[in-house]
Amino acid sequence: MSKPKFVYVTYVRTTPEKLWAALTDPQTIRKYWLGITAESDWKPGSPWTLKFEDGRTADTGEILEAVAPRRLVIRWRNEFRPELKAEGYSRCSMEIEMADYYPDRGGKAVKLTIHHELEGEVGSKFIEAVSVGWPKVLSNLKSLLETGDVAFAA
Amino acid sequence: MSDKPKFVYVTYIAAPPEKVWEALTKPDISEKYWFGYRVVADGKPGDQMTATSPAGKLSHRDPILVSDPPRRLVYGWKALDKLPDERASRVTFELAPFNGQTRLTVIHDDFDEGSKMFEMISKGWPAVLSSMKSFLETGRGLAPSWDDEATRCAAEAGA
Repeated sequence: MSKPKFVYVTYVRTTPEKLWAALTDPQTIRKYWLGITAESDWKPGSPWTLKFEDGRTADTGEILEAVAPRRLVIRWRNEFRPELKAEGYSRCSMEIEMADYYPDRGGKAVKLTIHHELEGEVGSKFIEAVSVGWPKVLSNLKSLLETGDVAFAA
Repeated sequence: MSDKPKFVYVTYIAAPPEKVWEALTKPDISEKYWFGYRVVADGKPGDQMTATSPAGKLSHRDPILVSDPPRRLVYGWKALDKLPDERASRVTFELAPFNGQTRLTVIHDDFDEGSKMFEMISKGWPAVLSSMKSFLETGRGLAPSWDDEATRCAAEAGA
């Protein structure tokens, strides 16, 4: 078997700049990330933390790359589930591309591609967990940008 | 575990399962988000699912294997126009109520190793399903990336 990896693509009717802002603004993240928010200054080398509403730390890591509004890479480890934390750090990349639009149809879409995999060779529980979480978070993010509301609350 | 290709995609849609079911099975709705394709899939097991391109060309005619509205739909998948020589694969749609809305899981499997169709549908489904979510939530589907040949072919293969 190849190493477990989560890959997800979604198209959003928005601009790359608005999508980048939604991925990096704590107040916006709070709206779609199921009660979780992120803290970071989003500069390469800076710490990054996901926190629950009550202030507990969910996940920690480091910004590896940040090229607004195109590419964000985070080194990422779970902190609140010992069996996931034991699998060590993962690497999550988020790529934003403007999809050219079809002139006869109008409209345009931004393509967001998420790749998430462990740095190490051993373990699958972390990737299983994010495979459940990402579709919820990204569905909510798309709804928020297109309709002003999330698909469902936390 | 098998290494045979399998595509899985989950999306959450702010619409009831009945509306998602209609969007998957009724051509008047599919053509609004599925790149203009008219997809007919509202028959019983043993009936045919068909998909017709905006130019009126038949691109799919496959058996419906399971139809349990609004929960589970399974049909065969062979691209008559793009890859007529590759044997049929299988698409499963699972719809579940979730917080008053719908969790839609699409599983596309039963491919041979090295399948060309698998590569195409892996690009096509995210575009089709993103557009369907937009259509059901905002009344407008998406028209992504049609100037990009790879995505255009994949999207057409996704119909």
